[in-house]
Amino acid sequence: MSSPAPVASPRTVADKSEKPALLAAIRMALEIESAAVRHNTQAFNSGRYLATAEIPDYDRLKDKARATKEAAIARLPELLATLEASVKRNGGHFFLAKTGEEAGRYITKVCTDHQVRLVVKGKSMTSEEIHLNHYLEAAGIEVAETDLAEFILQIADEQPSHLIGPAIHYSRERITALFKRKFQTDLPLDTGEELTRFAREMLRQKFLNADAGISGANFVAADTGSIVLVESEGNIRLTSQLPPLHIAITGVEKVLPKREDLGPFIELIAPSATGQGLASYTTVLTPPLTAAPLMSDRVTQREFHLVLVDNGRLQMREDPVLHEALYCIRCSACLNSCANFQTVGGHAFGGETYSGGIGGSWEAGTRGLLNARFSELCTGCSRCVMQCPVRIDIPWLNSNLRERINERDLEKSGGILEKAAAAQFRAKAPLPKIFFGRYDLFGKWGTRLAPLSNWVNHLPLTRALMERLVGVDRRRELPSFPNKSLAHAARRSAPARSSPDRGRAALFPDIFTNYGSPERGVATVEVLRSFGIDLVLTEVSPDGRASLSQGLIRTAEQQAKRTGEVLLKYIRDGREIIVIEPSALAMLRLDYRRFLSPDIFEQIRAHSFEGVEYLWRIFQERQLDVADFFAASRHPLGARLFYHSHCQQKTIGAAAPTEAFLRAAGFDVVTSRVECCGMAGSFGYKKDFYDLSMAVGQDLFNQVRAAEAEGGRRTLVATGTSCQEQLHAGLQRKVFHPMEVLAAIQKNL
Amino acid sequence: MLLPEPNWCTVVTNLAMSSISSAPRHDLVQQFETAATSAAASVERVIYAAGALAAAVKKIATGRIAVGQTLDLPSDLFSELRKLPGVVTGRSKQELATCDVGITEAFAGVARTGSVCVAVDHDYSGSISLLARMHIAVLSAEKITERPGDLFNPQFLNGKAMRRNFVFITGPSATADMGPLVRGVHGPHKLHIIILE
Repeated sequence: MSSPAPVASPRTVADKSEKPALLAAIRMALEIESAAVRHNTQAFNSGRYLATAEIPDYDRLKDKARATKEAAIARLPELLATLEASVKRNGGHFFLAKTGEEAGRYITKVCTDHQVRLVVKGKSMTSEEIHLNHYLEAAGIEVAETDLAEFILQIADEQPSHLIGPAIHYSRERITALFKRKFQTDLPLDTGEELTRFAREMLRQKFLNADAGISGANFVAADTGSIVLVESEGNIRLTSQLPPLHIAITGVEKVLPKREDLGPFIELIAPSATGQGLASYTTVLTPPLTAAPLMSDRVTQREFHLVLVDNGRLQMREDPVLHEALYCIRCSACLNSCANFQTVGGHAFGGETYSGGIGGSWEAGTRGLLNARFSELCTGCSRCVMQCPVRIDIPWLNSNLRERINERDLEKSGGILEKAAAAQFRAKAPLPKIFFGRYDLFGKWGTRLAPLSNWVNHLPLTRALMERLVGVDRRRELPSFPNKSLAHAARRSAPARSSPDRGRAALFPDIFTNYGSPERGVATVEVLRSFGIDLVLTEVSPDGRASLSQGLIRTAEQQAKRTGEVLLKYIRDGREIIVIEPSALAMLRLDYRRFLSPDIFEQIRAHSFEGVEYLWRIFQERQLDVADFFAASRHPLGARLFYHSHCQQKTIGAAAPTEAFLRAAGFDVVTSRVECCGMAGSFGYKKDFYDLSMAVGQDLFNQVRAAEAEGGRRTLVATGTSCQEQLHAGLQRKVFHPMEVLAAIQKNL
Repeated sequence: MLLPEPNWCTVVTNLAMSSISSAPRHDLVQQFETAATSAAASVERVIYAAGALAAAVKKIATGRIAVGQTLDLPSDLFSELRKLPGVVTGRSKQELATCDVGITEAFAGVARTGSVCVAVDHDYSGSISLLARMHIAVLSAEKITERPGDLFNPQFLNGKAMRRNFVFITGPSATADMGPLVRGVHGPHKLHIIILE
């Protein structure tokens, strides 16, 4: 199939503050960069899982790092004063730059004062942020980027696409082509070794002749003035130690109170970043060094400047939400664990400098809110949340950015109709956001009016209008509104055979199940009641997930409070809460801490379960054998399954119980190994993101195909509604909920 | 940038938390050796004596050799090393940048990650350990500690570590920026660790 030519090039994707530019960048990335980005990020991602699993006190280290960061940012002005005194006491120079321009001018002046002609530079995102090279080059100073990825970007004149692997979008083949074109050389450059040797020899000459070295700093200790430099190639060691003049530039947020605090960070950063125990080189320096600089026959005295950049950070510190982004140690775990990022990389899912889930807050803080528009690519799937070494709630940051951008967009370009809709729904957001965010209302009316609503929905004119007005892609099959909601259907199912000692529970009919796919709810009711659970249904109440994901945070909060009251009533009555849709369950177990008082949140968190998770717990507690009740051999479609768990289900630990339960029943289960299916709730329904969503889904579809190529057909099973839709869209096959599988066994007994 | 290999992570056998050397010495050395090997360094155990050390180096080091001064180890431990053929004595840019082998003391080793800690501001040990294609690090078995964080414990080495400019070296320099994993970038292609027992 031929695709349209990309309308953007990697060199023109920096500014994505307007929607069309963002969409063009996505198209470009899908076409040119996706394969290399996917390969590299997925290697990082699996490496991180392995490496962090080897750290016995991983969670304790994360807690410690988080606490240290919280304290450091809270005390930042005081720490900066301490640090300034420490650096000066050591014989170095300290400069706090209010803006990027101030930093650029200061560093350029230091260099011209020393008659510097050639600067070797280590990788520094802060220097990218402030365009340091432009200032130096304007003063006639040659700047050699010595990190091999930055070397590639400097030659290609492109922006970074990843926080730690800035040229992650380049395949080996494309690097070879680039070098051949730029250097006009006949040398063989067809392997990683040959390319590396070529670059090494070219850069070794630069190192030996450099007058100054400019590095970043991963961490700075205020009490001693020590800096930490983490790298694999050795170029940062050369940059910081060979030339007589060393300038380190970094953001003010990198300052920690004491050198003693460094331990947890050093132990976390490399496993989280590249999946190594430590990077090849982790250097701890308290500059200036005392040994005479090797690379200068003239100068015997070393000079050191520490340049700390504010450039919006101290304002971020005052922001009730964005200040959390200042804890970031730039390990990139959130990028690598993100299915969307794995598919397009930072040229689409990133701003001019910072990329991925955390990048939106940084671009908003250092460059302005609309530069965070790419954070729309955060689906809130939450896979990054447990990966962050300082436990930043990245989806929460992005929901808040969305709320702010919604408001700006509505003010700037909303028409009369849109503004009226916003007033009607009390949400300052464009219409598509309201449509997806208030699915509870559309679902309710659609179900009341079914089958008429379904007939209307499937008219080509309706689909065209929906695409136009609210952005639902017309290639997506819409879930039909059921003739009867779950609440309605279940009321008529008799509470058969309940025996109180089995357990008492209340099923919460989330809006996705209730109005979208009640059959899995009906199956849940049947399975639990047949097993003897005393099960009732709670009132229908939107849990707030849909609103939160669209940035309608105030609406989500109101819905959470109302739902919290509903659920609490049943919990106080001694019932556990069963939630079918994992995104709704994750709302209760994770996000409600933002909206409810700590004790109410804790009660809801501790008493909410996914259905199979709940059953598994009962079987464990009573030491019952699953196969006695749900023998896989009795499943009408056979005992071979392919099971895909939902992204948020994995994050809250509700995926493993289903896998365990199905295996205990005797099923031969192959599980998917993807972070997210790509649909991510409403994300894949949106016209703007349909192609990206389907591209993300390819990994999952291919895993199903590979599993079936090996040993024949498997029944497809998924817990999330949108995962079911996505699998169905990619493979054109029926997809079952685990409870439907169990219900089929019960019926077959 | 460096992409991980499948067996990149080190094997952790000791679950004790941040004390300096709670595990028995023998286990720490074993753990260190396993971790360093999986980080692509080579490891060799040698008797704690100047002659034995020089003999071990002689087997693998050819060409121009730079030998750094000892730091915590007694200086006469390196005395036989300095008599090896090819040892350069100057400290100029020309001499150090053209060496084939650089030998330095590692004042500490980290069992969990297989890292060696080299003081970079001591007789050009930073350059000696970085500019040659092969780096040989000499580590006393007694100086192997459990985890990287120990180096930031104010009591470690009686507080000396907290004042040092040093680098944790974990395997040879490496990159994946050019596509596949390549060892030997701006730093050594080969890291050989000699543990003195």
